[in-house]
Amino acid sequence: MSYNCPKDNRVFMKLLEESGDMITIDQEVDWDMEMGAITRKVCEEQAPSPYFKKIKDYPGFESLGAPMATYRRLAIAMGMDADSSIPDIAAEYVKRTKEEPIDPVTIDKKDAPCKDNILLGDDANLFHLPGPMVHGGDGGRYLATWHFVVTKDPDTQDINWGMYRMMVFDEKTMVGPVLPFSDMGKMFHGKYAPKNEPMPFAAVLSADPMSSLASCAPSPIPEDKFTGQLMGEPVELVQCETCDLMVPATAEIIIEGEVIPGIQIEEAPFGEYTGYRTSPRDPRTVYRIKAITYRNNPIMMISNMGMPVDEGQLLRSFSLGLEMHKLLESQGIPITGVYMLPESTHHLVVVGVKRCYTGVATQIGNLIYGSKLSPWFHLTIVVDEDTDIYSKDAVIHALSTKCHPIKDIHKYENQPGTPLNPFASPAERKTSTGSKALFDCTFPLDWPTSDLPIRVSFDNVYPQEIQDKVNANWEKFGYK
Amino acid sequence: MAQKEYDTYVLTDLDAVPDERQNVEIIIRDLNPEDRRTKYRSFFAKANVSKDKSKYSDVLWIRLGRGQLQDEPWSIEVLEEVNKFA
Repeated sequence: MSYNCPKDNRVFMKLLEESGDMITIDQEVDWDMEMGAITRKVCEEQAPSPYFKKIKDYPGFESLGAPMATYRRLAIAMGMDADSSIPDIAAEYVKRTKEEPIDPVTIDKKDAPCKDNILLGDDANLFHLPGPMVHGGDGGRYLATWHFVVTKDPDTQDINWGMYRMMVFDEKTMVGPVLPFSDMGKMFHGKYAPKNEPMPFAAVLSADPMSSLASCAPSPIPEDKFTGQLMGEPVELVQCETCDLMVPATAEIIIEGEVIPGIQIEEAPFGEYTGYRTSPRDPRTVYRIKAITYRNNPIMMISNMGMPVDEGQLLRSFSLGLEMHKLLESQGIPITGVYMLPESTHHLVVVGVKRCYTGVATQIGNLIYGSKLSPWFHLTIVVDEDTDIYSKDAVIHALSTKCHPIKDIHKYENQPGTPLNPFASPAERKTSTGSKALFDCTFPLDWPTSDLPIRVSFDNVYPQEIQDKVNANWEKFGYK
Repeated sequence: MAQKEYDTYVLTDLDAVPDERQNVEIIIRDLNPEDRRTKYRSFFAKANVSKDKSKYSDVLWIRLGRGQLQDEPWSIEVLEEVNKFA
């Protein structure tokens, strides 16, 4: 069953324009920091996406900034009403991803918009694309900020789509981090590099929104099938020019090439999702390109990572939290919901649970910190059903009042973690070592009922008839 | 010929870098290329580098590992570009 998601970037942009979630900028803007600065300000003010019609030095190219940096734009991308609530969007995601995965379909090259223009050999030059200088101080131009990299496991033939940043080094070379615990890292560092074999890749720049969402979701399902699950219909793929990898046919730009073993080149710094330039310039993984294909009048999307909220933070928080939801539910944990705050740069998750047995909070911590999801976050707050997990005020109140500073804070050491955490020591960054904490904000079950504190709030300490009377007269009193 | 400007990242303590280096291999970025589309193009170069900003004709701006731009530039003479993928 199709969920009417926009299957093409351009359909998505039309919907954004109709809902007032995109602004068209006709005046020329510079790829050298100006587009990045506008996009950054848009993220920090949660403003509509900027659609850049004219890019200095690059006639014929256009760009869209911050394509999915708000829940409104996420709802539109999912084929839902822009005003949908966060719990409704979350429930829809969970519902769809419990359905069967849907295999992609292959279409002919002549029907694939991403094959409108094909550059091979010397013509495949990265400086022919308007890669933005995203932030002042970046180590280079980052062509790939809202994109995913397609690779294939040489043993299982499993496909991986993942967002791995890529800095332009020269005409033919890009560089970026491929962390060893990532899916692509396991393929490249674990299988290709030990045999000194290059790994074919295709970087998909500016795909349809559900393919992009799938690529940054930590689902165990291969992303090409997961995209079909999210859309309720197959994603259309087309074969690359220089290898057997398949890419979404409506994507704006495709860069094909090989990840090269045996050499690393300096990459970064870069303004990262944590809101800092954390990881220093260091030798990182090298991509050499062989081909570039793109649509006519290509529209390059830019995500500008930094202080919240950008789409990386929002979508990663959204999907990480909901994959945790499914994991905990599958283990029979009596959760009432899971919400990861995008403002936490997907580091802090709130889990709501029914108070039904002692140790449920630590059981939750053990499960989610023991899962594949764990390197990307390190703070977990467990609250009971009295606390609205979507209300930051309510969560802060629960943390401040129900979490015993000695007994209810549990530490997890020597865990996998990303080197991008600003608090990580240089030694921890080198080994991707993390630390984690769990905050149990549920009152212990062994306390006598008579000892349980009573929450003093309008909805909890007045009889229903008094609440109804006050509510009925509220505007008459002069309140809005 | 117009003065060229480059920058490079120094990943060690600046004070530990010798004042004068001859024929060293470093990665530099071109900050004022003829074709503006190639600004920030990086390349490996064999070069002479001096902390004295007037020693060589071209300018070399210095950044630290997290992008911190230093106030005073050094100078550079690019001898040749090194192709690591030939």
